[in-house]
Amino acid sequence: MPEQKEQVVHRVLLGKKQILVTEEEPLLVQLERAGIHVEYQCREGYCSSCSIKLLWGNVIYPFEPLAWVQSGYLLACCAIVKSDIEIAFFD
Amino acid sequence: MSYSTFNRKQFDSTKEPMFFGENVNVARYDQQKHPIFEKLIEKQLSFFWRPEEVDLSTDRKDFQRLEAHEQHIFLSNLKYQTLLDSVQGRSPNVALLPIVSLPELETWIETWSFSETIHSRSYTHIIRNIVNDPTKIFDDIVTNAEITKRADSVSIYYDRLIEMVNLYNTMGMGTFDIPGRGEIEISMPKLKKALYLTIASVNVLEAIRFYVSFACSFGFAERTLMEGNAKIIKLIARDEALHLTGTQHMLNLMASGKDDPEMAVIAAECQNEVRQIFIEAAEQEKEWANYLFKDGSMIGLNAQILGQYVEYITNVRMQAIGLETHFATKNNPIPWINAWLVSDNVQVAPQEAEISSYLVGQTDNSLDDSDFDDFDL
Repeated sequence: MPEQKEQVVHRVLLGKKQILVTEEEPLLVQLERAGIHVEYQCREGYCSSCSIKLLWGNVIYPFEPLAWVQSGYLLACCAIVKSDIEIAFFD
Repeated sequence: MSYSTFNRKQFDSTKEPMFFGENVNVARYDQQKHPIFEKLIEKQLSFFWRPEEVDLSTDRKDFQRLEAHEQHIFLSNLKYQTLLDSVQGRSPNVALLPIVSLPELETWIETWSFSETIHSRSYTHIIRNIVNDPTKIFDDIVTNAEITKRADSVSIYYDRLIEMVNLYNTMGMGTFDIPGRGEIEISMPKLKKALYLTIASVNVLEAIRFYVSFACSFGFAERTLMEGNAKIIKLIARDEALHLTGTQHMLNLMASGKDDPEMAVIAAECQNEVRQIFIEAAEQEKEWANYLFKDGSMIGLNAQILGQYVEYITNVRMQAIGLETHFATKNNPIPWINAWLVSDNVQVAPQEAEISSYLVGQTDNSLDDSDFDDFDL
């Protein structure tokens, strides 16, 4: 029997939208694939353009980003989603 | 009090604040209070590039074919960029090195400023390539009223800090009557406040003013015009993204009190003043947009759209240092700018796709059999 890798899936709530994401890739690419426009520049954690509000839930960073991440925010280009989360752009 | 190039005191620099502690002595990086600054240095060094690597021969032809009002937009934007980098190529050194207290931060300031000198040399490279007489363009930067207005607002905080630190280093604390300037009070809170406002205004310069100018440069490239110029601006934008992270770290560290508890009090006291610096700069940039497009717009960009971008990017940058956003514009009116700003496909010479994290001689020596698992022959 081939080994089946189980993919962990989390829900990302954004306003009235719901996007399913895995832990395999950072949030940014998965949001883009879902057709959501997110600001970006460096895509490697130093410019802070993709900073998004994290209302609740957990994310981790496999590598600590160079940019300052304000508390209550996440950096989409390098954050790995670890639970269901709710995010928001500007107020 | 007075600056020493090699402080003879013995002290633990990891206990010093970023600024206004002991003057640095040994440039050592084995122990660091804020390791982020060495990470920024490493990143900046990995970005190293030279303007001459970018070929501008088609830009000359493009420029000659631009309409008069488009030439005005292009040249004015270039003059503004030249002004900004003239200031940034020297001011962090002149203003901040005499008061810095951490070796890793001192070296970051020098590395940061050095990269700005590459930008300045690029503007000369660009101007030389598109016009026969660069002198006319450079001379206009100090005489054109619209540009000199910009010069005043980007240098005022630096100049005030430098003046105060000079007084502090020669006279110490107190109130001094300076001929032609009136009374100037020098105290540690006043010095720290001048520093905090300066860092905020530098953040505005690099994170807002520069980005407005990038939008104009890329506006031409969107129409497949002045693409060599856009390549250079792309490299500059990659550096600036790192620099603005540097000032955001300084501001956030100061405000958090983790670096210097007295600075946290000052940061809280002048939060409103910092807000005003951001808002005023945004208004100045909108005025500048009106000047750029006074004789006509270009396809895809006009004063109104650029003005909305100013508001949008100001909101983003305010939020990044914990300020409440000010403007109503919550969406980027020129989303195409991201594709130009993205660093990963910066390509200078055709044979060398330059990945921004590319480090020369960076090899991984820790290999085991599992690293070859995904190899198929």
